[in-house]
Amino acid sequence: MGVTDKLNELVERKERLELGGGADKIAKQHEAGKMTARERLNLLFDANSFVEVDAFVETRSIEFDMQKKKVPGDGVVTGYGSVNGRLVFVSSQDFTVIGGSLGEMHAKKITKVMDMAMKMGAPFISINDSGGARIEEGIDALSGFGDIFFRNTLASGVIPQISVIMGPCAGGAVYSPAITDFVFMVEKTSQMFITGPQVIKAVTGEDVTFEKLGGADTHNSISGVAHFKSADEKECIEQIKRLLSFLPENNLCDAPVYQSADDMNRISEEISDIIPEGTNKPYDMKEIITRVVDNGDFLEIQKHFAQNIIIGFARMNGSTVGIIANQPSVMAGSLDVNSSDKGARFVRFCDAFNIPVITFTDVPGYLPGVGQEHSGVIRHGAKLLYAFSEATVPKINVIVRKAYGGAYIAMNSKHLGADMVFAWPTAEIAVMGPDGAANIIFRKEIADAEDPVAARNSKIEEYRNKFSNPYIAASRGYVDDVIEPATTRIRLISSLEMLSSKRENRPSKKHGNIPL
Amino acid sequence: MKKFLIKVNGNQYEVEVEEIRDGSVASAPVAAAPASAPVAAPAPAPAPAPAPAPKKDTAVPAGAQTITAPMPGTILKVNVNPGDAVKKGQVLLILEAMKMENEIVAPADGKVASVNVSKGASVNAGDVLVSLA
Repeated sequence: MGVTDKLNELVERKERLELGGGADKIAKQHEAGKMTARERLNLLFDANSFVEVDAFVETRSIEFDMQKKKVPGDGVVTGYGSVNGRLVFVSSQDFTVIGGSLGEMHAKKITKVMDMAMKMGAPFISINDSGGARIEEGIDALSGFGDIFFRNTLASGVIPQISVIMGPCAGGAVYSPAITDFVFMVEKTSQMFITGPQVIKAVTGEDVTFEKLGGADTHNSISGVAHFKSADEKECIEQIKRLLSFLPENNLCDAPVYQSADDMNRISEEISDIIPEGTNKPYDMKEIITRVVDNGDFLEIQKHFAQNIIIGFARMNGSTVGIIANQPSVMAGSLDVNSSDKGARFVRFCDAFNIPVITFTDVPGYLPGVGQEHSGVIRHGAKLLYAFSEATVPKINVIVRKAYGGAYIAMNSKHLGADMVFAWPTAEIAVMGPDGAANIIFRKEIADAEDPVAARNSKIEEYRNKFSNPYIAASRGYVDDVIEPATTRIRLISSLEMLSSKRENRPSKKHGNIPL
Repeated sequence: MKKFLIKVNGNQYEVEVEEIRDGSVASAPVAAAPASAPVAAPAPAPAPAPAPAPKKDTAVPAGAQTITAPMPGTILKVNVNPGDAVKKGQVLLILEAMKMENEIVAPADGKVASVNVSKGASVNAGDVLVSLA
C-alpha cells in the first residue's frame, strides 16, 4: 500500500465516521425533531473550533455478535472546542449508533475528556441521548457508568459541569446529570427516569406516559431535577451558551468581566413604587432584581421549580453575581423544603466558583404544616443556613420588606457572615410578625380587656410601630445601613468593589457534613 | 335522600343526606348544588350534629384541570364563578396565608368548571380550589 493509498484510507475512514449509524438512522433522528450528535456540536462550538478525540475507538466486546454491530466512535463523539472564544470539553452521545448505548469504550471516551477538562480547568458539557447501559457488555457498561459518576464527583466544584438531555436518559445514566451543576432539557424529546412507565406499571400499577413521568416539564417544575427547559434543541444550545457566559472556567478563575453599558451610578426612582402599601400584599420580586442589575439582564435558573425562591445570574458593573431572592407573589415567599434545597445548592455553586452572592429578602418565615414537617423542613431548611454560613465569597443582603424569625437568619443574615446587610426603610426585621407577637406578649392584657378584639388590634399596632422596622436591627449593627431603594444599585456595586479583595479563612477540614 | 340547609360561618350549604342500610352503599354520589346559588326560602337549619366540614363538596368534572392550594390558609375572596372564561394569569381567588394575600392565578386560558371553596373556608395544602375545563 503506497502513501497515497494510506492517505486515502484515512479520508475514507473519517468519512465513514461522520455518518455515525448511517443515513437511515440520521433521517429517523431528524424525524423525531432531534439533531445528530455532530450537528449539536456544530451549533454549540465556534465555527471550525471543534477538535474530535478518539474518533476511532470501538467496542472490544465480542459477546452477542457485538463485532457485527460495532461502529467506530462507539456511539459518542468527544472532544473540545471554543464557545465564544472559551475552551469547553464535551461528550455528545450518538443515538444513531446502537441507540447511543453506553459500553466500556464509550464510557472510556467520556472519562478521557472529563480528565482533560479537569487538567485544563475548563467546563465540561455532556450531551445525553442514549438508551442506557449496553446490555451486551454487562458489568463493563456498569463500570463505565461508575467511572463517569466518580469523575463527576471529583470535578464538582472544580469545573462547571453541564448536562444536556436531548433524548432518553434512563436508569443509572441519570445520576451523572444529577451530580452535575446544571441540567438542560428539551420539551417533548428528552426524558429522565430511574424506571420507565412499563416497569412502574408492572410494579405499582400506575399508568403514566414518558413525558408525564420524566419529561422536561416534569423535571423543571415538579422534581427540580432540571434547571432549564427549551422548546427545541437550538434554543437549548443558545441557553447553554448564555449560561457559560456567566461562569468562570474553573474554581481558581474569576468569571469573565464584560464592559457594561449600564451606568454604575444609575438611580432607579421607580423601584420604591414596586413595594405595595399593605404589607400583606404580594408583588413580583423580579421587578426589583431587573431594575438593579446591569441592563435588566437576569438569567433565571430553575424558573419553574419552587418559585417561592428566585435564583439566577446577573451582572453588576460587568461582573457576574449570583442572585437569591424570596418571591412574595408565590406562597408568600415562604421558605419550604424545595425552596431551601434550591437556594442552598445555588449558594454552594456560587461559593465554589468565586461568584459573589446578593440576596433580596422578603420572607415571612418557614412554611408551617404537617406535610412540611414530615417532609423534613428542619433538615432541608438547615441547608440554606449551612450554605450561607459556609460561603466565603462576598455576601450582600438587601432586606426589602419582611425578615422574620428563623427565616430572617437563614436569608444571608449578618449572623451567618454576610459582609454587608442593607435594609430598605420598608424592612420589617423581627422575631415574628406583629399579629403573632402581640398574641403571645400581650396574651394576658388581651384576655383581661373589656374588648379583647380592640385590645388585640391596639397591641398589634403597638408592636408594629415599635419593632416592624429596620432601625432596631440597625441599632445593633445587624444591618449595616438603611438605604433609599433608588440607590440600591449604586450601593451594591460599591460594596462589591470593596469586597473584591475579601479573604476569609475557615478551619481546615476534609469537608463539612451538610444536612442532606 | 333528605335535603338539609346548613349554615356555617355565615355560608349556606345545601346538603343531601342518605341513610345507608345493610351496608349497601349509596349510588353514585350526587354533586351538591353550589352554595353560591341562591336558595329559595331559607328554612332554619336543623343543625344535625356533628356538622359537616365547611367545604363545598363540589365534584370536579372529569378531565378538568385542578388548581390546588399551595399552602394551608383561608380563602379571602373568590373572584370567579363556574362557567366564567378566564385568561392565563388571571386572579381566581385570594388565599390568605403566611401574612400574605396570595393570588391564586389561572395557569392557562380556560373556563371555570367548578369552584370548590367559598369565602372564609380554611384549606389545606393540596385541597382543590377551582377546576378549569
